[in-house]
Amino acid sequence: MSLPTRSLFLKILLWFWATIVLTAFSIILTLILQPGGVPSQWHDALIETARYAGETVVQEFEHHGTQGASDYLLERVRITHLQACLFHLDGTVILGKGCERFATTARDSRMNGKPEINLQHGLATIAVTVRGGRDDQYIYVTESPVGPRAAVARNVAAVAVRCLIALFVPGLVCYLLTRYLTAPILRLREASQQLAAGNLSTRADARMSLRRDELGLLVKDFNTMAARLEGLVDGQRQLIYDISHELRSPLTRLNVALDLGRERKGSDQAFDQMQQDLERMDQMIDRLLTLARLDAAGASVPLKSLNLTDLVADIVHSAGFELGDRPDNITMSSSEPFFVRGNAELLQSAIENVIRNAIRYNNSEEPVQVVLERVESSAKITVRDHGLGVPSEDLRRIFEPFYRVATDRDRQTGGTGLGLAIAERAIRMHGGEVYALNATPQGLEVHILLPLLISQKN
Amino acid sequence: MGARGVRGALKMRQDRVLIIDDDVELCRLLRERFQPEGFTIETIHDGQAGLTRALLGHHDLVILDLMLPGMSGLDVLRNLRAHSSIPILILTARGDDVDRILGLEIGADDYLPKPFNPRELVARIRAILRRASRDAGTSSVVIVDSVRLEPSALKVWVDEAEVEVTSLEFSLLEAFMRNAGQVMTREDLTERVLGRKLGPFDRVIDVHVSNLRKKLGRYNSEELIKAVRGTGYLFVARSESK
Repeated sequence: MSLPTRSLFLKILLWFWATIVLTAFSIILTLILQPGGVPSQWHDALIETARYAGETVVQEFEHHGTQGASDYLLERVRITHLQACLFHLDGTVILGKGCERFATTARDSRMNGKPEINLQHGLATIAVTVRGGRDDQYIYVTESPVGPRAAVARNVAAVAVRCLIALFVPGLVCYLLTRYLTAPILRLREASQQLAAGNLSTRADARMSLRRDELGLLVKDFNTMAARLEGLVDGQRQLIYDISHELRSPLTRLNVALDLGRERKGSDQAFDQMQQDLERMDQMIDRLLTLARLDAAGASVPLKSLNLTDLVADIVHSAGFELGDRPDNITMSSSEPFFVRGNAELLQSAIENVIRNAIRYNNSEEPVQVVLERVESSAKITVRDHGLGVPSEDLRRIFEPFYRVATDRDRQTGGTGLGLAIAERAIRMHGGEVYALNATPQGLEVHILLPLLISQKN
Repeated sequence: MGARGVRGALKMRQDRVLIIDDDVELCRLLRERFQPEGFTIETIHDGQAGLTRALLGHHDLVILDLMLPGMSGLDVLRNLRAHSSIPILILTARGDDVDRILGLEIGADDYLPKPFNPRELVARIRAILRRASRDAGTSSVVIVDSVRLEPSALKVWVDEAEVEVTSLEFSLLEAFMRNAGQVMTREDLTERVLGRKLGPFDRVIDVHVSNLRKKLGRYNSEELIKAVRGTGYLFVARSESK
């Protein structure tokens, strides 16, 4: 299943994902960047807690000396993971490790004569003055977590993991959701491409039509449409086939009856005219049937590798033979032998139709030219006549069944109006293409491109 | 075509042709058209009845429409060929390659697409009958290596085992064996065996050669008839194959 470059899948996935991730991060961000960090009504509580802890430490210090108090403080630090220090009023450290970073806060508190709170990295550093039993004053400084950033400051790796999870879990959810939404669209697209390619029996996956949502309905409608289309086209093809087939019986009888008439009454111009028209009708039916079969057969025609140059040479040879008194009024040249994969009868009929068409309109002394050459990985057959050409707006339409240029003298020259249509379908079935151009100074050039055998491509 | 002259030349014995075709009017017209050509025409419009009639062996040639209602033309052909080597010309829908090839593979001698020109049909019938009458008891026994051909009995043996062949396959083999070791072109074979010119994309002769190869192949592991690319076929005489 190939995705278009600016696929709906990617768009929906990225937008959903981005929305979820951005929402999550903006919430976290607002928490982190909260201006005050801690609402002021909490300050008192924080100070009270700090003071209480400070008093306990001071009591420990006064009763058990430095050693006992230090043990108590370190134990407390170990449990809470929060740093704490005890200072003399003059700023010298009594207890605690790494107390240098608290020195400023301690000094500010002493200078101001009131508790001090310092917010940094989501941690509050709180300094309080504590009175001891002998009326000594100490400054106790401790930390307290006040916001989510406290966590960031503490464990960057864990936070990174959490962020990644926060990024990818929504990503996965979005992926599944988006796939659920867009996969049926892509499969529907595949089915419609198949349908457009002429594979009318294609249906979108039936499991998709079990969905009860809008896409399920769309798939159901698509399948109904495809079935209807198939029915119509099949009906039309069958009709053409049946008509052509049924016309054969009276035509066969007419042939025999006409011949009987000739035997009995001798030759007559009227008989010749009838004979000619019978042959024309026969040819037309023949081609209609070929056309119907080509439309229906698709890929079921057996293909094998064949020498295109020989095939074209044969056709040119027999065409020259039919030109009777002017067999040199058609020329052919080929730069090398070309090999293609195809059905000899179909290709022969296609190329012959193009060449016969050229001969029919080549009312000039200049011969019809058939040229084979290589164009990239294709063999190109150019058939050029020196007739009047075709109005440029009709160049495409000459490959449609029964299409005739307005000024055409086709009926008088015996065309069925189906030759080029057959040629176009047969060539297309071989993976090639055919188109017409007006040549200068006048005449029509029909180009047939057929893919070369892989072994000959390089 | 000088109808009068032909009529004069074929006065000795009228050739009996059985037409199996469901188109009643066409059959009537054909009977009318063929009477002056010196054929005795019998027409039957139903496959089953046609098969029964053809198996009686009263005819020299069967013209069989493959697009029959009821018992299909191919079934009639298969049954008929299982019991008889009578020449059979099949009528097929133009361009219906599958039916045509199948018909030839089952053992029809030649085919003509409908709608046909009656003169063409007469020419085909003549060609087939001419070959069939030439085969009957005209020439001597031919032996090439392990293959023995007995024109008087229209029989073929490979290493003492009899090979069932149709009269057309017999003619084909005879042509090959009388020219053993020489390349026979497809044009040449078509003219000799089918009595007509090779047409564009005409693969009738190839189907017959392929049928004959298969039949001979059952009794002989060696490939007796070899394809010569782009030209035709060759019956290999053992002395040359080594």
